[in-house]
Amino acid sequence: MSVGNQVRVVVVGHGMVGARFVDDLHQRDPGGRFRTTVLGAEEYEPYNRVLLSEVVAGKLDVASITLPRTAHRTSSTVLPGTQAVTIDRHAGVVHDHAGERHRYDVLVLATGARARIPELFGRRVDDDLPAGAHALRTLDDAREIVAATVNAHRAVVVGGGVLGLEVACGLAHRGVPVTVVHGGTNLMDRQLDGPAAAAATARLTSLGISVRVGARTEEAVVSGGRVTGVRLEGGEVLAADLLVLTAGTVPEVGLAQRAGLDVARGIVVGTDLASPADARVFAIGDCAEPPEGGSGLIAQGWDQARRLATLLTEPSAARDDVPLPTAGTDVVKVKGVGLDVVAMGVCGPLTGGRRVRLSDPEGGRHIEVVVADGRVIGATCVGAGPVAADLVAAYTRGTPAPTDPAQLLVRPVAGTAVPAASPTMMPDRAVVCRCNGVTKGDIVGCWRHGARSVEDVAASTRATTGCGGCKDAVCGIVDWLRRSDPDQPAPARPATDTADDPTPVTAR
Amino acid sequence: MTRLAAVTTEGAATHCPYCALQCAQTLRNSDEGAVTAAGRDFPTNKGGMCQKGWTSPTLLRATDRLTTPLLHGEPVSWDTALSFVATRLAALRASHGPESVAVFGGGGLTNEKAYALGKFARTVLATPNIDYNGRFCMASAAAGANRTLGLDRGLPFPLTDLGGAQAVLLLGSNLAETMPPSVQHLAGVRATGGLIVVDPRRSATADLTADDGGLHVQPVPGTDLALLLGLAHIVLAEGFADVAYLDERTTGLDDIRRSVALWWPERTEQVTGVPVATLRRAAFLLANASPSRGGSGAYILTGRGVEQSTQGTDTVTAAINLALLLGLPGRVGSGYGAITGQGNGQGGREHGQKADQLPGYRSIEDDAARAHVADVWGVDPADLPRTGLPAIELLRSLGTPGGPKALLVHGSNVLVSAPDADRVRERLASLDLLVVCDFLPSETALLADVVLPVTQWAEEEGTMTSLEGRVIRRRRALPPPPGVRSELEILADLAARLGSTVRFDTSPAVVFDELARASAGGRADYSGLSHARLDAEPDLFWPVPAGPTPHPGTPRMFLDRFWTPDGRARLVPVDHRGPSDDLRRDAPLFLITGRVLAHYQSGAQTRRVPELVRSAPTPFVELHPLLADRLGIDEGDLVQLDTERGRGVVRARLTDALRPDTVFMPFHWAGTGSANRLTTDATDPISGMPEFKVCAVDVQRWHGPVEVLEDQSLLFAEEVLA
Repeated sequence: MSVGNQVRVVVVGHGMVGARFVDDLHQRDPGGRFRTTVLGAEEYEPYNRVLLSEVVAGKLDVASITLPRTAHRTSSTVLPGTQAVTIDRHAGVVHDHAGERHRYDVLVLATGARARIPELFGRRVDDDLPAGAHALRTLDDAREIVAATVNAHRAVVVGGGVLGLEVACGLAHRGVPVTVVHGGTNLMDRQLDGPAAAAATARLTSLGISVRVGARTEEAVVSGGRVTGVRLEGGEVLAADLLVLTAGTVPEVGLAQRAGLDVARGIVVGTDLASPADARVFAIGDCAEPPEGGSGLIAQGWDQARRLATLLTEPSAARDDVPLPTAGTDVVKVKGVGLDVVAMGVCGPLTGGRRVRLSDPEGGRHIEVVVADGRVIGATCVGAGPVAADLVAAYTRGTPAPTDPAQLLVRPVAGTAVPAASPTMMPDRAVVCRCNGVTKGDIVGCWRHGARSVEDVAASTRATTGCGGCKDAVCGIVDWLRRSDPDQPAPARPATDTADDPTPVTAR
Repeated sequence: MTRLAAVTTEGAATHCPYCALQCAQTLRNSDEGAVTAAGRDFPTNKGGMCQKGWTSPTLLRATDRLTTPLLHGEPVSWDTALSFVATRLAALRASHGPESVAVFGGGGLTNEKAYALGKFARTVLATPNIDYNGRFCMASAAAGANRTLGLDRGLPFPLTDLGGAQAVLLLGSNLAETMPPSVQHLAGVRATGGLIVVDPRRSATADLTADDGGLHVQPVPGTDLALLLGLAHIVLAEGFADVAYLDERTTGLDDIRRSVALWWPERTEQVTGVPVATLRRAAFLLANASPSRGGSGAYILTGRGVEQSTQGTDTVTAAINLALLLGLPGRVGSGYGAITGQGNGQGGREHGQKADQLPGYRSIEDDAARAHVADVWGVDPADLPRTGLPAIELLRSLGTPGGPKALLVHGSNVLVSAPDADRVRERLASLDLLVVCDFLPSETALLADVVLPVTQWAEEEGTMTSLEGRVIRRRRALPPPPGVRSELEILADLAARLGSTVRFDTSPAVVFDELARASAGGRADYSGLSHARLDAEPDLFWPVPAGPTPHPGTPRMFLDRFWTPDGRARLVPVDHRGPSDDLRRDAPLFLITGRVLAHYQSGAQTRRVPELVRSAPTPFVELHPLLADRLGIDEGDLVQLDTERGRGVVRARLTDALRPDTVFMPFHWAGTGSANRLTTDATDPISGMPEFKVCAVDVQRWHGPVEVLEDQSLLFAEEVLA
């Protein structure tokens, strides 16, 4: 299936997943067996789509989200601004918009997804939106939104999922008054249940963001070609001169569909990421629909890129089986200024597992952890702070959960590392000078043998002679001894040392 | 009774035998006629010493000090031993070629001995196969600094410079235990709240951040590289980068900007387990301390915790990238540095013990370097071998078909200090000839066919190069016991017995002069130095080239230019891959390894000092109380640890200083408590440094017999205490 020993790989789509796949493939192919041609619809170099909401929030400039150039310039050709139009699977050729033909032995579809545009605008010509209305999927979208915020007085975000909340926080951060309109009963209803969503809503409200849940948008109100608001079901109109549509995404499947490949919501692929209809055609990233379902998260797409690169480069004899999806790629964390929401794995009650929750509505906190078979298999965190980071580490790596899963809900208070405040309370075995292994008992012992100052103690125990950090502590103990044992005259220094008596180390 | 011979009433001014801080100490005769050690005022230790330094004279009276050569365990004369070694080496070389003999050196050897050993291997043995235990310590830091700054000197600035810093990012170093007196230099930064310690464990060093001293960052083991990429992302995103400096003094900014675009804070949190808020705080502390933002200076320092990794070179590179983004290296009061571990870890890597290097930090593949060194040695450059096997590959190949059949070990206890120790034992046992030079019967020496007793620190003259590139004098305080010889004498004797005409001097001062000539023009140029000059001037940092007027030395490097061909530092993009032996269902915990204050390296010396044994008597494993509870383990219980390499059994210590997904073991012991029977020998692809610091482990309560602990190492400890 290849010319000589070379395998021609055509990748359609030069986004985060397509670019990562090309790098992964060439990295695993030091012998240069594979040649890749990448068709990218956008004129730009690939960029970090995940960070578009940060651009909107004004926390990143565009230059900071451009992805690494491929390090494999000799074996990889990138064709930006090249739209794949048809696939001739019989001939093994992709035709582009300019009429060029790209032969392949292996075809990888990484066409991604586009923003789902809700039916608010009547009939549209060429997918055009009225001025003031924007989706957020591309760099151009982000630039336009940023430009619009300069004059915006009132923004409405349609869709209270992860991206919607990130955009709302970002706009609020820029000082634009925002309302989030969400048709479902809960914000982020793919990830959060009622109580968790309530905690998130409370947090958004405190950031000055209005939240309308269970509110269906009927249509955009447009005047003179410009958006002036949205009309909700029931007739209420929310005024807005900036309308951001974050109502989910739709996998880009047109090309695959025209080529006669199996398509459901996305391009159907098996565990091996190949189309059941054609073993030479693979799909990865947001356009794909693997058996476990597409999450729309970058971690899943990158995992697929890595697995496909492994599949193509390693001879099947060297593998036990097809590399399976990595666990823990479904962690969702909202990147909102002032909003702390993390969700992963399963949520809700579970047979055979345990679910513990911490509900702290007044504190803006809600944490749920699901444990089964001694491991964290799901967690939902709102306002959880560092606990969320700990849970992600435990969930993604499958480390043993505590016997009592409730221990996962708060960070254990760190034990006291310094000796007890009062020398009276300090146990004799407490190490005072770590550098020289000197305990409180040693210092008391040398007081009994006549030491009366820090210098005396240092001379006979070496305490304070390393890093010097224990000087105050030794001083405190000497003062305490002086107070509690004031009249005792200093005995004559012992002439010979005993086993317990710390004396200078000598070689005899 | 050991009386000091060459010691005046002022005592012998020398330096501690152990770590790279090389605390200045004075050895004196006490009133009772014994040798005592006291701290001596010096810029690095400011008069301080830790318990190891104070008790170092105990080594001079070790009851099992080697004072006679041993052949298959039996005392023999020097002539018998050396003639046996020479005959066997000659026979092996004749039938299997010069590569069949290998040499393994140590980072504790003086510059003179390290130099002579490298010369002996390349000329007398003509073998490419020489490497040293510094491959376990400094190789990744060296590779990272060389490819970015163009030169590797552990700290390219005096240690005392840290005193004025507003922020110090310390990655994977527990210097409060490994070199305690150095903590004095962090007093200033702790007072400003700018000390940032990155360690999965709340070590003694991490504790220095308590009470508003700074910030302890506690990542998932093996994710330091991701953490650094995440910090670089924040620095660029927030506009903290020093644009003018980057423009003027570096290349590669665009590639770095793109590579760290992938490490936004939320992703970094998911990989490292470090909350976004903590990442931001660390980045802000560093940025605000940076000169371009009006701060009084910031340092980024790396240690073994991040370097002993299969991505160690990349991690060091990422640390240097971050430092460059902030405009730190090559500025007075700011910078990047690696904290060298072993006493002469710095000098040991500069003078020819490394498989790919000739004296003066020269590449053995560089023809001009070969010609220069060959001229000093009086040999034909064409006869010098090329690059040999790095340490781990060398150890793995011992006794295998085509691999070395004889090994000479100098100043290293590989059986305890190398990873995957059971395999090391197997390889050593398969050798035709194992020769160990040591002054104590280390675990490795006990396996040797021939043991040659050598001098130790207080019995010899020489030089060491400390962690800051300062060349210091080691001075003889007393004569060695009868029967003991210096390695310089042994190498000269063996060279003659093997029929070599290459000259091997035995006087350290003369050997140093030759080393200085060999290093002339190299990166680590010592040609302007001599023992006499060093006796008069204790503040000389290399390079110190010879010249018509004495060169003042180079305390601070890179002030004008980096050591790259165009004088600019290189920003090199790197990415995180993760540990080689990652967690799996049947090994769901991270094992991390490290040190305790009372012991040094393999413990061959410190396990023989009663005070130190009392402070840290036996091996142990630390685990979090939540994990212990889950596993049904109580304080002091015997615990078994299983990795893909082997099993260890030690007692449990419960502490909340660790992440609950991680257990910690110090590596100073042999036997069932040997951490390195568990560690992996997977290595960094660039530096060849093994991944000591992290592997996957299963931990259970030990239900077997208690006698398992009656292994030699522990019995020995009890003997010392009794």
